[in-house]
Amino acid sequence: MIKLYDFELSVNCYKCRLLMSILNVDYEIVPVDFYPGFKHKSDEFKKINPLNHIPVLDDGGYVIRDAHAILVYLATKYDSTKRWYPIENPELLGETASWMLFAEGTTNTASAARLNVNLGYDFDLEKVQEGAHKLFRFFDEHMWFRNRSGGKWVCDSEHPTIADIALFPDVVLAEEGGISLIDYPALRLWAERMKRLPGFIVMGGIFPASADRIN
Amino acid sequence: MALSQPTENICSMTTQELTQNDPISNWYPVANADDLPFRHTFHGKLLGQEIVIWRADDGNVNIWVNRCLHRGVRLSRGLNNGAELQCQYHGWRYANRTGGCTYIPAHPVDSPAQHLSCKTFPAIQSHGIIWSGISPEGVPPKLSFLDGLTPLNLRSLPAKAPADSVNEHLSKYMFHPDNQTDGEGSSLVTTKAYDNYFQITATVANSTSTLALFAQPVDEQSTIIRGVIGVPHNSQNVLTVLRYHNNLMCKLRDVIEADFELKSKISNTFAAVSNPRSATRNIANNSGSVSFLKVRVARKWSTAKDVVGLELLPIGNQQLPTFLPGAHIDVFLPNGITRQYSLTNGPGELDKYRIGVKLEQVSSGGSKYIHETLSEGSIIEISTPRNNFPLRRDSTRTVLIAGGIGATPLLAMAQVLEKQKLNYELHYFAQSDEHLAFPEILNSLGNNCIRHFGLSVEETLAKVRESLGEHNSSENLYVCGPGPMLEATRNIAADLGWPDESIHFEYFKNSKIVSFESSFEIELARSALTLNVPAGKTVLQILRDNGIAMPSSCEQGACGTCIVKVLAGQPDHQDVYLNDSEKKRGDKMLTCISRALSNKITLDI
Amino acid sequence: MSWSTMPVSRRGLVDTAINGEGCTDQVILNQWYPLAAIVELRPGISYQTVLLEVEVGFGVTLNGELIAWRLDCVVIPAGNPLPAENFTDKLLVQSAYGYLWTSLSAEPKELFSIPETNEPDRRSINVATIGIATSAPRAVENFLDMGHFPFVHAGVLGAEPHTEVFDYNVEIKDGEIIATGCKFPQPQAAPSSVGAIVTDYIYRVPHPYCVLLYKSGGFDESRLDVIGLFIQPISQERIRASMFYSCVDNISSDTALRRFQLGIFSQDKPILENQVPKRLPLSTTAETPIRADKSSITYRRWLSDLGVTYGVISAN
Ligand code: FES
Ligand SMILES: [Fe+2]
Repeated sequence: MIKLYDFELSVNCYKCRLLMSILNVDYEIVPVDFYPGFKHKSDEFKKINPLNHIPVLDDGGYVIRDAHAILVYLATKYDSTKRWYPIENPELLGETASWMLFAEGTTNTASAARLNVNLGYDFDLEKVQEGAHKLFRFFDEHMWFRNRSGGKWVCDSEHPTIADIALFPDVVLAEEGGISLIDYPALRLWAERMKRLPGFIVMGGIFPASADRIN
Repeated sequence: MALSQPTENICSMTTQELTQNDPISNWYPVANADDLPFRHTFHGKLLGQEIVIWRADDGNVNIWVNRCLHRGVRLSRGLNNGAELQCQYHGWRYANRTGGCTYIPAHPVDSPAQHLSCKTFPAIQSHGIIWSGISPEGVPPKLSFLDGLTPLNLRSLPAKAPADSVNEHLSKYMFHPDNQTDGEGSSLVTTKAYDNYFQITATVANSTSTLALFAQPVDEQSTIIRGVIGVPHNSQNVLTVLRYHNNLMCKLRDVIEADFELKSKISNTFAAVSNPRSATRNIANNSGSVSFLKVRVARKWSTAKDVVGLELLPIGNQQLPTFLPGAHIDVFLPNGITRQYSLTNGPGELDKYRIGVKLEQVSSGGSKYIHETLSEGSIIEISTPRNNFPLRRDSTRTVLIAGGIGATPLLAMAQVLEKQKLNYELHYFAQSDEHLAFPEILNSLGNNCIRHFGLSVEETLAKVRESLGEHNSSENLYVCGPGPMLEATRNIAADLGWPDESIHFEYFKNSKIVSFESSFEIELARSALTLNVPAGKTVLQILRDNGIAMPSSCEQGACGTCIVKVLAGQPDHQDVYLNDSEKKRGDKMLTCISRALSNKITLDI
Repeated sequence: MSWSTMPVSRRGLVDTAINGEGCTDQVILNQWYPLAAIVELRPGISYQTVLLEVEVGFGVTLNGELIAWRLDCVVIPAGNPLPAENFTDKLLVQSAYGYLWTSLSAEPKELFSIPETNEPDRRSINVATIGIATSAPRAVENFLDMGHFPFVHAGVLGAEPHTEVFDYNVEIKDGEIIATGCKFPQPQAAPSSVGAIVTDYIYRVPHPYCVLLYKSGGFDESRLDVIGLFIQPISQERIRASMFYSCVDNISSDTALRRFQLGIFSQDKPILENQVPKRLPLSTTAETPIRADKSSITYRRWLSDLGVTYGVISAN
């Protein structure tokens, strides 16, 4: 069975759990005491990931690190509809890739702010908060126009992609890093839509949405 | 800016000075209509006040102070279930329209106190904008330039600058009337209609286009710019127009923000509440206990054989008070007779009250008057709802047994259970199809409503037995109907092992005449305080006046919330909550209503 | 042993220290506060933090001695070696329950005791120390609250439709708040429990900013697990909360215990950060208590009676 080296409160680990839950993939969690144990820094963990970070996914001996790479792998391998990672549609694939890169930015700002505030990680809080606001402004505008033209997801497709997964927790948990979402109504709407996806799961800090239209 | 600067002869600005200067009495846009899709909960802010905005399934837009009455959690984090808003922390529910608290899950059998209401703000939707204000006067601006056009709401833009400095820039917003061309000068006519509202018409040669821009004052440091423009019906280039203005306005925003040179960092959730002291003041509408109101009979129709339905609408702009499922109202008829009728409304349905009145064979003039004399358009007086038949919402199965017109309170309950998707069934016993009241409500319940027609007494009882089955924990029965049926159902349930607490009958209000005439002393054992309770005041009031926190709910001696231990002295109970043996023991009393028979009573407080 | 290779960051905390009005509340100044779990500190290295708006340095020397000092007296930047020689102006320190505790006062009120921790077969760990943007009293009150279990800890500490909070007892004994007879049906009360059980709790508030919970962990009915929330107030509206866990569970690993408790902790955090105002209002009319809130009502009144003004909005 797939093993995920995981820390419950990590946004990056959550991205992997979320996609596996949505794709209905069975997996097993290997808890890593990331905080306060710092076990990912241990020599023991170095054998699993020489870069000493989580998540790491082990699929029957094939080991892959980094959340966004894991998303690519999982979607390609386990989504037979090829919608989450649209490898058969070059334009859409390109778009997905560019938003995945954008998500690196939100992780390095919004989620870094969260690490600083929650766990005392040494980041310049003001700088990462400001960085997150810059990205969110852009992202909110993008999502507003997506909505206005009938789109629901980050990329120009009917179906969500792994870019949606990669961005989702960075946005929803931003407030834990002191980044208010009050100015980003389109992001809040999109996040709510994400919560209504079949197979959606929560993590600490993320609550479910109210029931959908189906009564 | 991309547009060329207007030259002197083609730029003219007209400014209409306005008298309204008090921000409290203005209408402001607080959201766009499409910010409120199905069951969304919107977090907004106006003049430093955080608000939650949510649209109920009936289309009504609610704007409330964004703070749960219980422990202050932001209601914008809560769940919009279409008729009620549920707080995320302890699940308190608040009704559409009134903001009244309808359910406290920690105490499923208690009715929340009537005065527990979120503070609400007015909401009007027009031109695709949701308008509100602290206590606005008149109506929101009517944008007549949109007549004959389709209104298009521009993307709203938050700007880190106060409304004043935003306004200065908005009045100079420049655009081309074709709504897509850069680079050509256009003549602008700007009309300042309100403090925070500009109407701008751009003209080039024969083509003109008008838009309205608004500044929503968020707080001292931020403003949201909103706008609406008219486009011809069926316009093909809506997106182009929206993008065109979004680009121009983003640039304008950059200018505004740079201009304001905001030093403090961008909006931060850690910013302290501007004045924590004032934020805690009076978060509940303290509108008080049962009172009376006048309503208009808006509709009277035959809903079943010998049963008329009445729809009662408030007069003027009044809001009908919150009710709980199972509640009834007193109806004061013009002929001097008072009758109680249960509300059949669904949750959050507070634009009207709906009751069903059966023509009683031996009517002393109540139902007869309603059937024969009362006409649509009449004004009658009613009491505010009394909630003495509260519905638990923590059952794993709820069985509702209705006989004839007794269905009415159970209809209200069924609609709540249906909306909340809880497991329940409504068994409605009637002579025939045409005796079923409110068939439209029954239909909305789908398969959970089971109709039983023309059964004999034995058959009815057999059916009741079958429907109830054995009792499992967390199952509850609510029954309402003719006396003999009630009695029989209760026996059957007991026989099947349903415990007393799981069987609920409507006990109409505490119908005893309560007296507040005595005066006596209370000694508070733990606080080492002795207080005097004069005639006309309750123990509860005296405790609160002296700063002692005491939970309470119905305040009519029915729910038991305000119970205290009595250490010495003899209570004068007057409540309907304690049973006879408890009353005899005299070691507990309800502070909302019980008094003392002795001169002094010692309480464990 | 494993310790943080990273000094506790003071970035983001210092602002508060500079901008705040400082703490003048004698009751609060006279208490002990936890700064860190000792095992998480790297010996010989200095750490920095903020306590009651005062910048504080702390650490464990290479000889295993705990020290803490005011940074405005002795400047040793975070991450630097601790000096071998002694310096003056040190703050009082003590080791208790695995944490380094300090006080800004020269004569602090004695730290409460947890007799259970003396039992030899018990295991005590720091679940985690987490920054939360709220006041210490709001966090304590949340810890005392059972009514939120089915909504905030759905599927773990409670589940709808079982939402009723049954009556329990609260009293003040020897200057502490004790709530007993608390019961709540729980789908999964501890990492080792399977299936729903009605869990019994005892709560104890022995310190204005610390609270303890005793409950059966399911291994030995007569031996209760102790869960503590020990708060380091950074300012009136920011805290670092340490969750202490002491149990007789000899099966679950530290990692598993941590994961479980941290999961719960993280569900409360967004609630706490969305309470308005952040300081706990002590006026009886500011918020709406119900019967289930007996312990919270007692806590608020107790703070009033103690004369606490820091982290609260006084009633007056
Ligand atoms: S704070 Fe909203 S229900 Fe308790
Ligand atoms: Fe909790």
